[in-house]
Amino acid sequence: MWNRCSRSNESDHVSVQCKVLSDGQCARLYNAVLEVLERTGCEIFCPEAVELLKKAGCWTDGLRVRIPSHLVERAIGAAPSRVVLADRNGKRRLFLEGNNTYFGPGPTNPYFFDLQTGERRKVLKSDVYDVARLVEVLPNMDFAMSLACISDCTSGLADVHEVHAMLQNTTKPIVTWGYNAANMATIISMCETVAGSPEALQKNPFVVVYAEPTTPLRHSKEAVEILLYMSEKGLPQLYTPGVQGCATAPASMAGVLVVAAADNLAGLVINQLKREGAPYIAGGVTTNMDMKTMIHCYGSSPEFSLMHAALTDFLHYLQLPTWSTAGCADSKILDEQTAIEYTFSLHSAALSGANLVHDSGFLETGLSGSLEALVMADEIIGMSRNIVKGVRIDEESLAVDIIDKVGPGGNFLTEEHTFKNFKKEFWIPRDINRDIYRQWSDKGKTTYGDRLRARAKQMLQESVPKKLSDDVLQKLQVLVDEAEAAKV
Amino acid sequence: MELKAIYECVLTGERDQIEGVIQRALSAGCRPADIINNALIRGMDEVGRKMKEGDMFVPEVLMAANTMKIGLQAVKPLMEGEETEAPGKIAIGTVSGDLHDIGKNLVVMMLEGAGFKVIDLGVDVSKDRFLQVIEEEKPDLIGLSALLTTTMKTMGETVQAIGGKVKTMIGGAPVTEDFADEIGASGYAPDAVTAVDLAKSLIF
Ligand code: B12
Repeated sequence: MWNRCSRSNESDHVSVQCKVLSDGQCARLYNAVLEVLERTGCEIFCPEAVELLKKAGCWTDGLRVRIPSHLVERAIGAAPSRVVLADRNGKRRLFLEGNNTYFGPGPTNPYFFDLQTGERRKVLKSDVYDVARLVEVLPNMDFAMSLACISDCTSGLADVHEVHAMLQNTTKPIVTWGYNAANMATIISMCETVAGSPEALQKNPFVVVYAEPTTPLRHSKEAVEILLYMSEKGLPQLYTPGVQGCATAPASMAGVLVVAAADNLAGLVINQLKREGAPYIAGGVTTNMDMKTMIHCYGSSPEFSLMHAALTDFLHYLQLPTWSTAGCADSKILDEQTAIEYTFSLHSAALSGANLVHDSGFLETGLSGSLEALVMADEIIGMSRNIVKGVRIDEESLAVDIIDKVGPGGNFLTEEHTFKNFKKEFWIPRDINRDIYRQWSDKGKTTYGDRLRARAKQMLQESVPKKLSDDVLQKLQVLVDEAEAAKV
Repeated sequence: MELKAIYECVLTGERDQIEGVIQRALSAGCRPADIINNALIRGMDEVGRKMKEGDMFVPEVLMAANTMKIGLQAVKPLMEGEETEAPGKIAIGTVSGDLHDIGKNLVVMMLEGAGFKVIDLGVDVSKDRFLQVIEEEKPDLIGLSALLTTTMKTMGETVQAIGGKVKTMIGGAPVTEDFADEIGASGYAPDAVTAVDLAKSLIF
């Protein structure tokens, strides 16, 4: 199911958006980032990438690479300013351009809340089936992620099995992670099989791959090899530093942004050197470490949302498609705190106009996932989108003729204008409750959490996966089996 | 009086002041061993307690630890012949295949702050490297960190290889008490402050 207004800004001038950084601030930030890359540089643990960078004119000293500013500028110029993602059938769906905002779940949580028992337990492959089936029917989930680092498979193959599970249960675009380039090759082969050919996938990609630098200023062999591989394939790549103010970045929001952008743009330089014009989605997770508990803060930090919005401004300024984070919580269970964390982060992300926003359904700083929380995130996004879409001002909506017709003391309930517009103009809740007290108590005095659990169960029951052909299914199984065989 | 001033210095992390305050204490006739045991270490114990209560924040704790270290360096050379409690020696690293080190680094800093001698082996530390360090450095305790399901497996293998040679303590976000029992580690701590208590209980 697709929300008819999943594009947040149907027309730019009416959309409600926020800007955290002015263009002047972006320019200063950019200069600081260029200075860090040129002066301090970074460590890159992949010899092929170091060689590429050296040839292009970087100063190298072993693993240490200093990147002259013109190379960064060239890479930004070379990368496409927009990336379009298709669904599993090749229909172009998500336009990562301008301020269009699309939402989806998060990756790699080790734990999961069992929808039937409520118990927090290790996450399983069957949970990924459920996540994908739920994403398929949730109107405001625009792409799938596994919401898992599954435990019930051969060690080191969770990434492969998760894509195997997602491909069979949703047609929405998939964003996924990987341990290394070898697993990535299996994952991409699976997607090419579904698309029909490598070229079909390249023309209408429905998969985005996610790798991470080791902030600050370090790029692991595994991550860079994925970058190079995806670049060579000409498929969309996401490179997302996880930056914690006070720990892996300075104790200032600007400092966090500098480190995040420096790590992200170093990835872009490598990616573009390998193949100019390769689709690249920029961004990162920008947060702070809590100085009492030492946790990596997710939704409970207002600066988390603010810095993500600022990074989005900066990347818009560079005209790169953007990746952001929201719908996630530090709370351990689905409770009042979670609702606050989800709402602030999701609404901020929507206001910022980030293109791909991940991590809906996360609890406990990304250590656990929950289906009912995903359903809640979906409803919050629905509310948020109806704010971001803004107020339509035109002849029909101003409705002066109708006001004149109804006149003083009348009502508009029976008007044709009302009949035509009420659904379009005003948001209709799904599980947010507007019953009068008596109705609510007659229906069992449920809490929002109760209703979300019931809804998740009902939606799962009703979501029937659109089956892949037997031939494709068999080929996918062969690819998984080969990856398994290579492990032993 | 003088000891109290040193204790206060540690508590508030006045690392520029500590040497001066210690000099004054020495001139006033305080014994080096008293300075260490009854001022510096007691200061850090209080810091640890306050941290656990939520009355102190990590950067303040680290500054206090740094202050105590400077203090120790100032007093140590005067200790010849005198008895002090031998601090434990701990080697710690993130296991093979794992690059997460933020948590491990915090544990290192807290342990150092508590007076332990810590050998930081960094990330991606192989089983053999742990064994080599045990051989060469004879640590009292080995600390292992892992944040990935895949490397928790490696952690198990590493702890097994270490066997009874030396006690092991483990940690990292997905690691649990049950997992520690399962792989036969001597102890588990959920955070860096608790790691200090655990190390003390395992060594002393
Ligand atoms: C930051 C981060 C990264 C950074 C690490 C940077 C660095 N220099 O460390 C980067 C981006 C590099 C990264 C990479 C990856 N990560 Co990561 N990462 C995290 C994240 C968000 C926070 C970890 C953190 O720093 N927390 C703050 C510190 C202070 O907490 P801590 O590490 O838990 O440490 C405390 C305690 O555990 C304890 N402790 C820690 N060590 C020890 C040791 C001893 C002896 C003791 C007693 C105690 C102790 O004390 C510490 C202080 O209180 C977690 C999610 C999470 N919330 O934990 C994911 C997470 C751990 N990562 C995950 C994954 C999957 C990956 C990748 C595979 C993803 C990928 N393919 O891109 C790679 C793997 C790279 C590799 N080979 O290691 C998953 C793990 C899932 C699983 N069970 O396997 C998590 C849970 C992701 C998630 N859902 O949010 N990651």
